Amino acid sequence: MTPAIKTEGIGKQYGSVVALANLTFSVQAGEVLGVLGPNGAGKTTAIRVLTTILRPSSGTFSVAGVPHTRPSAIRRLVGVLPESAGYPPRQTGEEYLHYFARLFGHSRASARARAEKLLTQVGLSDRRHSLIAGYSRGMRQRLGIARALINDPQVVFLDEPTLGLEPAGQRQVLALVRRIATERGATVLLSTHLLAEVEEVCSRVLILNRGRLTAEGTVSEIARRAAAPRSARLRVHAEHVDRARQTLAGSAGIERVEPADGQLGSLIAMLHRQGPAAMNEGLKALADAEIPVLAFELEGARLSDAFLAMTEQS
Amino acid sequence: MIATAGPNVRHRRPHAWAIVAEQELRDLWLGGRGLLLGLAFSVLLSIIAYLTATNQALNFLEQRESVNLTLQVAIAVGSLLALLAAADAVSGERERSTLESVLLTPVSRLELTGGKMLAALSLWLAAFAITIPYVWFLGRGVQLVGHALLTGIVVGTLLALFLASLGMIVSVFSNSNRVSLTLSLFLLLAIFAPTQLPSSAQKGWAGEFLLRVNPLTAGEHYVGKILVSGHTWNEDVSWLISPVVAAAVFSVVAAIVGARYIRLGRGGGE
Repeated sequence: MTPAIKTEGIGKQYGSVVALANLTFSVQAGEVLGVLGPNGAGKTTAIRVLTTILRPSSGTFSVAGVPHTRPSAIRRLVGVLPESAGYPPRQTGEEYLHYFARLFGHSRASARARAEKLLTQVGLSDRRHSLIAGYSRGMRQRLGIARALINDPQVVFLDEPTLGLEPAGQRQVLALVRRIATERGATVLLSTHLLAEVEEVCSRVLILNRGRLTAEGTVSEIARRAAAPRSARLRVHAEHVDRARQTLAGSAGIERVEPADGQLGSLIAMLHRQGPAAMNEGLKALADAEIPVLAFELEGARLSDAFLAMTEQS
Repeated sequence: MIATAGPNVRHRRPHAWAIVAEQELRDLWLGGRGLLLGLAFSVLLSIIAYLTATNQALNFLEQRESVNLTLQVAIAVGSLLALLAAADAVSGERERSTLESVLLTPVSRLELTGGKMLAALSLWLAAFAITIPYVWFLGRGVQLVGHALLTGIVVGTLLALFLASLGMIVSVFSNSNRVSLTLSLFLLLAIFAPTQLPSSAQKGWAGEFLLRVNPLTAGEHYVGKILVSGHTWNEDVSWLISPVVAAAVFSVVAAIVGARYIRLGRGGGE
């Protein structure tokens, strides 16, 4: 099966500045790939190269089976929500989508129908005749996603789609991203620096740092590979705190136990080097002492820990 | 359910330049910018027509010269409007961050340039349409209206094409509208500069060469020869060489520059 995206050592340089170096990865059809990285990691450059806005300085790639030497053919098959996309304030949402549908080859009637359908799907049908100038940031992002879908793309690139949105707006956009993948079967490449988004919707993750690929895999693979748990946070009833501390302190694999700042009943257990299994003894001891554990989480095992570890290392 | 496009998507667009031009014309005219410029243009022409036709103290011009002066101002300002619109065409989109979305469509850069150029030229055509009643009013009784309008549309269109192309080239290489408009206006002033030379400097072979080689001065000189001196069309047709050459060369260069260098960042960069 042809990968939806396949890159072989693509790089992009601006003079002596390396924006992207030797990026090699592939994405299967229907996957939602998260591209993570701090600011300046090369996420936007990678998307601009893959969507033919920028020419790579080195390497090759194909999108939806079309080689990078045919940029116009690639543009017909991809939908893109660029980072910080601008919108013409004096057009209505419907006019905006109608124009882009026409540019992708729809007839007038078909473009109008397509615009109306997409506006309904992104929840903007009641504002379709309003000027974009009056749209909120969240509405503009949803309009941008509708524009990215105007040509029924096989691969959708979303560059920081939730940037600057309030939590409700973020949820709406993420729900749309999920629907693009599940209902349309499109491949989605989601660039973001919000780790929670990736954990929520992505099947695989790339971590970029300073233009280089630092890690690739599923969320759990990356979290496991990057950082073994170093501590565990647990919560017990307030009246059991002292007994829980003593019990845990006496368990093998636990170095020391400290109360968590400002949280009644919460404790942090620092583990020896042998990893998450070290906590099992402690939990067993708590169970034997009939101390109920209300909450428990290994710290250092989350994607955010892995991300920090990998980006700090390089 | 997220919509799929269905079978009626045609991947060969019939005339993408026409779709771009239609949208640009909507933005220009329904957005109000074109109407505002047209209004300012008509106010300017009204003042000139008033001064040349009704004010006894200032009206020292013959009727033919009044028509000539009004038409020359209309051509100069009308083609300036085309230059301003073209200078905004690419750098404006770049500044407003709307260019990337357009570049992500399968429309070629050449078609994009063509559509934007047509919209810019519409300002000249509108300016010319506004000029018609003024020329008719000033030219009554001297059998000049037909000649004036025909000369005006030919010379004005050549100069508007030249200046709009110049504006487009500058716009492609500019990252901001301010730079694009400033540079375009500076170039326009440089082109207009010979018209401000003393009349003694415009005589002799060197003076005539300067007038002939400059498309603006040559075009306006040709209009004057037809309207004021009463020459025939082909008597001074050699004065049209530089406007024709400038319009042809600059429109071809604008097309090449647009096709090759319209990018997210200015010209060479991306």
